[in-house]
Amino acid sequence: MLNRRQFIGTSVAGLFLPRAGQAFAADWSGTEAEAKGQTVYFNAWAGSEPINAYIGWAAGEMKSRYGITVEHVKITDTAEVVKRVRDEVAAGKRDGSVDLVWINGENFSLMKKEKLLFGPFSETLPNYRYVDVDGKPTTRQDFAESVDGLESPWGMAQLTFFADGAKVADPPRDMKALLAFAKANPGRVTYPAPPDFHGTTFLKQVMLEQAVDRNALYRDPVDAQVPPESFSFLDALHPHCWRAGKQFPKSQAEITQMVADGELLVGLTFNPNEPANLVAAGTLPATTVAWQHEKGTIGNTHFVAIPVNARARAGAEVFANFLLSPQAQARKNDIKVWGDPTVLAVEKLSAEDQAAFASAAAPGSVSLPGPALLEPRASWVPLIEKAWLSRYGNG
Amino acid sequence: MRTLATLPLAVVLLLPLLASLLFIMPGVADLDSFRALAEHPQFWGALALSLATGLTSTAVSLVLALVMIFAARGKNLSSRAGLFLAVPHVSFAIGLAFLIMPAGLLARAVALAAGWTMPPQWVTTQDPWGLALTVALVLKETPFLVWTFANLLAREDLAAGFAGQRAVARSLGHGEASTFLRVIVPQLLPQALGPLIAVLAYGMTVVDMALVIGPTQPPTLAQLAWTGLSDAESATAARGAAGVLVLCAVVAAILAAASVVLKCSRPHLHRFYAASPRPGEGLGGAAQLLWPALLAVYVAVAAVMLLQSAAAQWPFPDLLPNVSTLRAWTHLLSDPRPVMTSVVLALSTTACAIAATVIWLELAPRAMDRVMTMCALTAVTVPMLLIALGEYRAFLALDLTGTAVALWTAHAVPVCAYVFLLLARPYRAYGTQWAAVAAGLQQGRARFLWRVKWPMLKGPMWAAAAVGFAVSVGQYVPAQLAAAGRFSTLPMEAVTLSSGGNRPLLAVYGIALMALPLGAFLFAARAGRSRWSTP
Amino acid sequence: MTLVLRDAAVNLRGMPLTRPLIRPFSVSVQPGEILTIMGPSGSGKSALLSWIGGDLPGAMQGAGEVLLNGVNVIGVPPERRRIGRLFQDDYLFPHMTVGENLLFAIPAARREVRLEMMQQALADAGLDGYADRAPQTLSGGQRARVALMRTLLSGPAAVLLDEPFSRLDQDLRSTIRSFTSDHIRDRQVPAILVTHDRADVPPGGRVLAISAQGDMHHV
Repeated sequence: MLNRRQFIGTSVAGLFLPRAGQAFAADWSGTEAEAKGQTVYFNAWAGSEPINAYIGWAAGEMKSRYGITVEHVKITDTAEVVKRVRDEVAAGKRDGSVDLVWINGENFSLMKKEKLLFGPFSETLPNYRYVDVDGKPTTRQDFAESVDGLESPWGMAQLTFFADGAKVADPPRDMKALLAFAKANPGRVTYPAPPDFHGTTFLKQVMLEQAVDRNALYRDPVDAQVPPESFSFLDALHPHCWRAGKQFPKSQAEITQMVADGELLVGLTFNPNEPANLVAAGTLPATTVAWQHEKGTIGNTHFVAIPVNARARAGAEVFANFLLSPQAQARKNDIKVWGDPTVLAVEKLSAEDQAAFASAAAPGSVSLPGPALLEPRASWVPLIEKAWLSRYGNG
Repeated sequence: MRTLATLPLAVVLLLPLLASLLFIMPGVADLDSFRALAEHPQFWGALALSLATGLTSTAVSLVLALVMIFAARGKNLSSRAGLFLAVPHVSFAIGLAFLIMPAGLLARAVALAAGWTMPPQWVTTQDPWGLALTVALVLKETPFLVWTFANLLAREDLAAGFAGQRAVARSLGHGEASTFLRVIVPQLLPQALGPLIAVLAYGMTVVDMALVIGPTQPPTLAQLAWTGLSDAESATAARGAAGVLVLCAVVAAILAAASVVLKCSRPHLHRFYAASPRPGEGLGGAAQLLWPALLAVYVAVAAVMLLQSAAAQWPFPDLLPNVSTLRAWTHLLSDPRPVMTSVVLALSTTACAIAATVIWLELAPRAMDRVMTMCALTAVTVPMLLIALGEYRAFLALDLTGTAVALWTAHAVPVCAYVFLLLARPYRAYGTQWAAVAAGLQQGRARFLWRVKWPMLKGPMWAAAAVGFAVSVGQYVPAQLAAAGRFSTLPMEAVTLSSGGNRPLLAVYGIALMALPLGAFLFAARAGRSRWSTP
Repeated sequence: MTLVLRDAAVNLRGMPLTRPLIRPFSVSVQPGEILTIMGPSGSGKSALLSWIGGDLPGAMQGAGEVLLNGVNVIGVPPERRRIGRLFQDDYLFPHMTVGENLLFAIPAARREVRLEMMQQALADAGLDGYADRAPQTLSGGQRARVALMRTLLSGPAAVLLDEPFSRLDQDLRSTIRSFTSDHIRDRQVPAILVTHDRADVPPGGRVLAISAQGDMHHV
């Protein structure tokens, strides 16, 4: 492990690692000492008030516990950060503007491929030992891309559907049932237009459920063709969708609002606790139900990563470690705070810590869970998006 | 001395702009990105949609604005139109959507009467023809043009001439409508060329409004370009940049085509001017209703946003939220820093822009105006996204990204451009006789400026300042790019929060974004009022 | 064609009627006659003309009747009064050629007829071949003549002259004065001229003067 770390540190990021020797010494108290007084610019999507508040809380803890200042740099799209780091590295800027970034999936695979990430660091973080690497394989496999210690797991996500139970008595628990539901309730079901992240995920879910050979989706596409069965399903679904499938909402957030308004009957989210969270906030009614497909929905993990040119690298590591701590994870898990499922193996924790995770089922929690499915290989994404646009992109 | 006077404006506007254009070029110059763009399945549809929404909204806004000016019968609408101007485009689009969407206030009113329990399947927003987007643009651009025309008509150097010409034309037997069309409009439009181009360019390149209320299948070309630009993949981003360049080229082509059409239609136009007197009134009472109708839409938009800002739960078809909360307001007020940053930025950039522009206009050689006008027009018409991207790359090369200097400069560029465009004409048109009079009275230049010239020009100067302030407050991209998001400004907060779609927060920040410029416009209207005008 | 003012008065809105700018007076102007009204600046003489012409600013109000051939035109919009106006400024429309400025005033007729009327007017003003020139390229005297021709081409029933010579160079004034009065006499149009320059009064013309109290009396 150490060798490998040293290897990457000198070969990939050598330019940016004047003190690489110290960094890989795995001397955690040294890292903490170095981190003291640093300002960590944490670039994180800021579209959610509870999430922002949670980050604010964590920043306060960092200040009081470690003397580290955490600044939440609010962004709308992690792609901004990928580009900024790429540009800075290309311009030879050593003291980059990003110290830590909230990331996963395509953005991670790009940064990894372009060698824009510092590390490996995550698996040597003291709190990493609590991570449920066996039960939650996506903590080491981000969208079929090996994590290799380049990002530290933060939270779990799984495609989840929700509706007002008062209007939807029998939630559709696979794509076939969704089609039947749409036929029975024309114009009240839809999904966000790709390349919106949730829209693309919905398409991937369709592909996984419709695939004749699901394994093919975990290998690189061979003939640049999307399996035709996916489109025959969408062809059947679209006429019964909102606006007869000629228009699609722009985001998952928009769909959530439309569900709250009653314009749509079914919403979707990557955070299984979001519906419960929204019930608590009053946006959705208390009769809200959430479910996952019987044979599973796509699940993944979101992470934090340190760019190769981060200025406050030690501070970022200490912060990443804190975010993995049972206390921080338990608070994040709390539906009243954020409701983001933990990456930890709760059973590995002390009884006291375990108790912090225990929470009564709140209205809107997932009542019909399904297993998590691995993301198809990332190289499918541009292919699906392009094919979808060609087929449905002009109304 | 005279060339030295060009320095301030050159430093805050010309230099960053040139640097920006210089740095943006290499990234998009390759043919591959254009090919990728042309092969994008939605490209042609998106281009057609952009043309339709941009051209229609510009033409309709122009006609409506002229009708409103005509219907006002010489009453000065500028301060009232200024209030509409203060409403940021995106806030307005959000409010309008709250009003007309299938679960919006209008549908709820109908639902109560018709007994609906679910929102209707109306195609009122996100319609495939971009009509909702066009309507939103028209409602937003019409007051801007009314304001432009009203300011021109009220200009002290032009007003007397227009009044006399109007009296002559009517004494010759031309009715109000004929006088307006043949005498006033042909002289007004060339003066308003800059604002008209800005309206067209805005309509063609607007992203935020299109995201709120425009279609997706296909989206407008601006949206398509923006989606590309925001992609992490370099090739996709380059395709997006190519899209922006195509948009710029399309705007330029439209302008070129318009000038050719105008040239060809010159004989017809002149025959029209020289037609025999027509005493008819022309427009009926409907024209009088346009202004109140526009006002009503804005009031409704503001009202529905206020309702939304406090609505925790607002199920269909209730006309009022059934659970209200001040959480969103508390959120805004709990951290005053973004508001303070925005205000300080707006005040300092505007003050600097006014000073630099006045120094330029007072001292710089007149021959150089053309260069600066072109430069300012470029800054106003080229999508802000592209300029900000270029600036960001320039700052990157200077190792200035994420600094206050970068943040300030990126805000100052559009502010200076607008201030210069608005101030240059009235300032240059200021009669030389006044200086001669003052010199004759043995008054020094400074005293002349302070006591005579600036007080006489205070109307346009305050108006330019108000617009500068509003432009600065509305800037999102520079804070995100050049300042690496390290300085939280009001639009930064608003945009990042809006990605989560929380409606009360969206409404609160929309209102806040509206309130700051509104204050500036109210203040400017008061401060800039002629001493002799009746309140 | 005669122009009759009956009990005409002008005052500032909001001021008591006991302190008008011009107290009620009556006068009749014969066809081809130029009646001169003299008074110092601010005496209300221009306001009087605006009232007759139908575009008195809102801050002022007029009272009485304006009779053209016995018909009261008060309440009629200015474009239907057939009262021509000339001001200190010539107000030639800068976006039209000299010829178009004239055509603008010529009532509806066949195009050839209107063009011929325009050419004739230019010839009358000694401006043959100036039709396609921009007004900005003309001298002050030329512009004044075009402005007068434009007013006369509209076929006015009366003409109001509001210090039309005051902006002209001294040596031009007398020529333009006689040019103006000749044409008005030729067309037998009644006209009122307001001025504060005695030299503007046409030879043998009647003159009314406004006193400090606003009384109108013959000189």
